[in-house]
Amino acid sequence: MKDKTDGEKYKLTRRNFVKTSAAVAAALATGTERMFAAGSDKLRVGLIGCGGRGKDAVKDCINAAKGVELVAMGDLFKDRMDKSLEELKKDFAANIKVTSNTCFVGFDAYQKVIASGVDMVILAGPPHFRPPHLKAAIEAGKHVFMEKPAGVDPAGIRSLIASSELAEQKKLAIVAGTQRRHQAHYVEIMKRIQNGDIGEIVAAQCYWNGGDMLGYWKWYERQPSMSSMEWQCRNWPWFTWLSGDHIVEQHVHNLDIISWAIGSHPVQCMGMGGRQVRTLGNIYDHFAVEFEYPKGVRVLSMCRQITGCTDSVSERLVGTKGSSYTDSSIGYIEGPKAYKYDGPNPNPYVQEHADLINSIREGKPLNEGRNVAQSTMSAIMGRMSAYTGRALKWDWAMNASKLDLTPPRYEFGDLPVPPVAVPGKTQLI
Amino acid sequence: MKEKLTEKRRRLSRRDFIKTSGTLGVAALLSGTERMFAAGSDRIRVGLIGCGGRGVYDTTNCLNSADNIELVAMGDLFKDHLDSALRTLKNKPGEKDKPSEKDKLAEKVKVIEDSCFVGWDAYKKVVARDDVDMVILTEAPHFRPEHLKAAVEAGKHVFMEKPVAVDPVGVRSVIESSALADKKNLTIVAGTQMRRIAHLVAIMERIHNGDLGKILSGQCVRIGGGMLDWGPNQRQPSWSDMEWQLRRWLFLTWLSGDFITEMHVHNLDMVNWALDAHPVQCIGMGGRQVRTAPEYGDAYDHFAVEYEYPNGVRIEYMGAQIDGVTDRNDQRLVGTNGSAYMDFANAIIEGEKPFKYDGPSPDPCIRQHADQIAAIREAKPLNEGKRIAESTLTSIMGRMSAYTGRALKWDWVMNASKLDLRPSKYDFGDLPMPPVAVPGKTQLI
Repeated sequence: MKDKTDGEKYKLTRRNFVKTSAAVAAALATGTERMFAAGSDKLRVGLIGCGGRGKDAVKDCINAAKGVELVAMGDLFKDRMDKSLEELKKDFAANIKVTSNTCFVGFDAYQKVIASGVDMVILAGPPHFRPPHLKAAIEAGKHVFMEKPAGVDPAGIRSLIASSELAEQKKLAIVAGTQRRHQAHYVEIMKRIQNGDIGEIVAAQCYWNGGDMLGYWKWYERQPSMSSMEWQCRNWPWFTWLSGDHIVEQHVHNLDIISWAIGSHPVQCMGMGGRQVRTLGNIYDHFAVEFEYPKGVRVLSMCRQITGCTDSVSERLVGTKGSSYTDSSIGYIEGPKAYKYDGPNPNPYVQEHADLINSIREGKPLNEGRNVAQSTMSAIMGRMSAYTGRALKWDWAMNASKLDLTPPRYEFGDLPVPPVAVPGKTQLI
Repeated sequence: MKEKLTEKRRRLSRRDFIKTSGTLGVAALLSGTERMFAAGSDRIRVGLIGCGGRGVYDTTNCLNSADNIELVAMGDLFKDHLDSALRTLKNKPGEKDKPSEKDKLAEKVKVIEDSCFVGWDAYKKVVARDDVDMVILTEAPHFRPEHLKAAVEAGKHVFMEKPVAVDPVGVRSVIESSALADKKNLTIVAGTQMRRIAHLVAIMERIHNGDLGKILSGQCVRIGGGMLDWGPNQRQPSWSDMEWQLRRWLFLTWLSGDFITEMHVHNLDMVNWALDAHPVQCIGMGGRQVRTAPEYGDAYDHFAVEYEYPNGVRIEYMGAQIDGVTDRNDQRLVGTNGSAYMDFANAIIEGEKPFKYDGPSPDPCIRQHADQIAAIREAKPLNEGKRIAESTLTSIMGRMSAYTGRALKWDWVMNASKLDLRPSKYDFGDLPMPPVAVPGKTQLI
């Protein structure tokens, strides 16, 4: 009953929205006001995946535009959802319209959120679930903000690309949480690189060398009442089938910058890695991958999650006429066309939502699905190469690999933990 | 028939040589490769320190690289190594393609029981001999600095295998000894034979000539098998900790420097050669994911290091010793006008000035000895000590960075690092197996 009502309401909103944006158009609006002008006044959002990132994404979304309302939430675990909801209500009471009837728990929670009359969903569950969640959202006609990475295996990537194409047909927006694409200094540097300001790109380096993340993510010791599935899902960053490993989960940001600058995905790669310190879960703690892009451009990617080492989270592109350096706070070009960005740097986590909502309201939906799918695939390919010790080609990984990390069943029962990968022994699938 | 002729010519040359050098001493009478025999004494007597496989190999090549070279003394930590090496040397054919009985290497092996030394001070006894002109240093890399020092101080010419140290303290010692060798007009050649492979020499000339334009970036990758069958796998009950580690030296960092140093110094030396520089800083990572059994000591099985050279040129190095992975062994440099690809068999430049080497590639492992013998006989300077010390430090710095997880600067490693992997004493007693390095925890020293 509720679903139906909400559904009708949603149709109304949608219809209004479409009418408004078609008729009034954006011409009346100027500057920053623009994003609010053309659409309906309300954007009804559902949150799928209510951990820290999901909760923060809702805040960013609310801060990005007027009229954002959180109307439904879904998660695997009630305690996680309750905690996030409590915080959201405290900070944004007026925007939080979630009721106990629109809070859903369990493996099918995402379907219920999608069916509860939302215009848009924020997909912030563990990366493993992104492809099926995106598919369901797009099929149901919802706009999507989804966190990176967008998948953990080639099977998932193929699904993402299909969903992104469907979104295009349905004129639905997809924005991914690769917020650097919406960050002023990155945008400016990339514009200049693509304009040829560093000449022809011949090499690059990118890094996410940082700590073990234990200060950021909580590790849940397994309680007697916890099934193996629950224990793994709660500790998702540390399990490859859930997070994709840290090269995918985190380093995808930097690999995305490289693909953005070069304007292509890699054609092949050779990786190595291991876990020298980490003992939790089954992911590695360091990776080094050589990616080869078209025209023989080789890129060194390094990522590490080991506390007490020298950290760097940055990208560098080397061209025949100069080089660029970027990290999350600065960007500059060295060479004959030297440049340093010193303009304003609005919060990119908010900006990405502003750009998304603006595009929806203007009727020109952004679709970053394929981009983030490809950047995620670069990272997956690097991981697969490091795990197996085999050099890999993009075309094979994208089209022929049968790797699919989906467990046999989604239920809170037994789920053996796959062993830590051993190069030269772990099978290439 | 052909063999006989060669034999005859060779003997003739010998006789001529002795005569010439003794009385006329005129290089002008000779030409081409004959020249090397002109200026020196009639005989070069060699002492071998470190009688493992590489010692036998280098000695064989050295004795075959020119006429009138003799092996007169040998030293090793272990008697079984020495005996086995001596047996092998006495049974080696003198020249591979002319295996006549008289050509047996045995003729050149003049070692007697009194000139064979075993134990910790064997090297001292070899270098103390007046009848030794030159030593071949092929003990485990750990010992190279001390052996080189002793040899140079005793006034011996030195052929030494790579790498030449395992820590910065050792590298500094090698540089000092090399400087001393210069003062004493002694030659030092290092077993980085890539420097003498014809196709690499040819491509390096072009790179140095600017055929790639300004070099911007590069890669140096060596990925091969796990060496799991190397050395004795079973510890004998009679072996002390020290002996066990020495016999497994390849997998002990204090002895070998780990494989980035022990083996991949070749590849890193090629990068230094191409860029005519050493790195200014590096950031490395690595670990052991496969070779984890205790008999593999504390060596890692993979390393990845980014080396930054002057002018911000960043070079990717990746190395692994793991079975069943995709093997690679190649170097690549990218410049503003082209790129160069090099491996142990090929040298190719693509770009504005394309090049592909297709000439002959004579064995560089003999050439390096021939060059040294010629330099000794002509009294010409030839000292590769500092260069190989720098290439060795390049690899050591990458290892230190990977072990500790810390980015490192060359100047600090070269001048300030106190890392010294020498054990408290050299005796066949207790020596705990060193722990495997843990990035973020292993201390930077």
